[in-house]
Amino acid sequence: MPDDIAEVYRSTYGALVRFLYRKVWDQGRAEDLAQEAFARALVHRPENTRGWLFVVAANMARDEARRAAREKRHLTLLKSEPDAVHSSPEDEIDAETRTRHVRAALDELTPRDREALLLWDAGMSYDEIATQTGLARGAIGTTLARARRRLVEAYDAREGGQHVARG
Amino acid sequence: MSHVDEGTLHAYLDGELSPPERATVEAHLAECASCRATLAEERALLERASALLGAARPVERPAPPFEQLRRESKRSPWRVRRSIAWAASIVLAVGLGYSLRGSAREESPEAADKFALYDRRDAAAEQNQAARSAARRPAPAADEAARQREASGVVATVAPTPTADARADSPATAEAMHLDAVVVTNRAAANAGAAAPAPQVRSTLTEWPIITRSAARSLLGTDPVGLPGLATRRIRRSPGTDRTVIVEQAVDSATVIQIIQRPTSANLFDSSARGGYAFGEAERQRTDRLARFVGRLRVEIKGPVSLDSLNRLLEQVAPLP
Repeated sequence: MPDDIAEVYRSTYGALVRFLYRKVWDQGRAEDLAQEAFARALVHRPENTRGWLFVVAANMARDEARRAAREKRHLTLLKSEPDAVHSSPEDEIDAETRTRHVRAALDELTPRDREALLLWDAGMSYDEIATQTGLARGAIGTTLARARRRLVEAYDAREGGQHVARG
Repeated sequence: MSHVDEGTLHAYLDGELSPPERATVEAHLAECASCRATLAEERALLERASALLGAARPVERPAPPFEQLRRESKRSPWRVRRSIAWAASIVLAVGLGYSLRGSAREESPEAADKFALYDRRDAAAEQNQAARSAARRPAPAADEAARQREASGVVATVAPTPTADARADSPATAEAMHLDAVVVTNRAAANAGAAAPAPQVRSTLTEWPIITRSAARSLLGTDPVGLPGLATRRIRRSPGTDRTVIVEQAVDSATVIQIIQRPTSANLFDSSARGGYAFGEAERQRTDRLARFVGRLRVEIKGPVSLDSLNRLLEQVAPLP
């Protein structure tokens, strides 16, 4: 029996928006895509609604990213922005800058590592991440360990005044 | 055991180890200061990564009401499971008009169980699919009946239902449906009757014989064009000398699209020949008829779907395999 989609909606909507936000970096767009994913789930009635939703969401975000890449907006913007904050202590960096740096740090992960990390952060179990990414279940811990390390290192590199993003 | 690798430590911290694995790890940690130190580092790393991700989270806004979502999903083209997205959009265009008409009745906000509505709609979509695949099978009796009617001068492209009996031994219906109106059948006809003026009856199109594909090919001097992936219901030729061919294809059991084509070498304005097809009329008269060139053919398209959908369909037109 397919899951009760209304129930999944209540429990998963927030996580799905968060997951999508880290991919499209636009709140309104992330919400739209999340709602679209649920709307599709209502039609398809997948067996495993939650897993299905994240697959569909990931695909939609990827299409979105391709489109964005074609339009060359975000990346150009991101790269041309000067890192003017290197002298500020972390607690003074405004949220927007921090978000931008996290985003840039996430971009430095391999797609697979990033996907695993975002899925974990969206509340998925190792089993679900394995199903989603095609990774072996036993490899998820290692993947997440690597993803976390790279994220922190890439972020610290930015905050520490090493402007790797300029390159 | 040997030292615990970082992947296992992360799985441990994430609470994703099985109980036996967990016990093994904990037994080792109890004895190994080095691994305990590593665990502390990995925990700090994990928390730091979570905090960073947390800093890049969207503002938590409440989810829109689920009911709203259900309403939106009705507008979604994904309602129809088709690998060909554009075909789905056409079906949607047709189905939407249908459902909008029914929606006043079906969609009262107080409707107790909207899921029930979905189930019905899904069932309807599946029926459509079944009908579509059934329509791909030849229905000899029906075609024969159509030929007989044509021979008697009553042209009548009949309701493209997959079963012959529904094609009505209802002479009144048959007479009302000239070729030009073929596209308006079944429920589409009902809609058209209800909401749109009756289709124009064009006497010039009432005597177009059904021909074979190879006959069409020799008339056109090239393969006839159509929409790849759609069932071709029949091919007709102009009764005149203008070498015009019409390929009729079913988008679904109730929706037939006509792809009208003629070699560009033929004089476009030679349609004064008896019964010929007046090309160029699209521009002059009917906004629901669009035209383009495909290879050596001039192609127009007609059908009971939105202009936008026709446009998209016309873009898909290619030589039939």
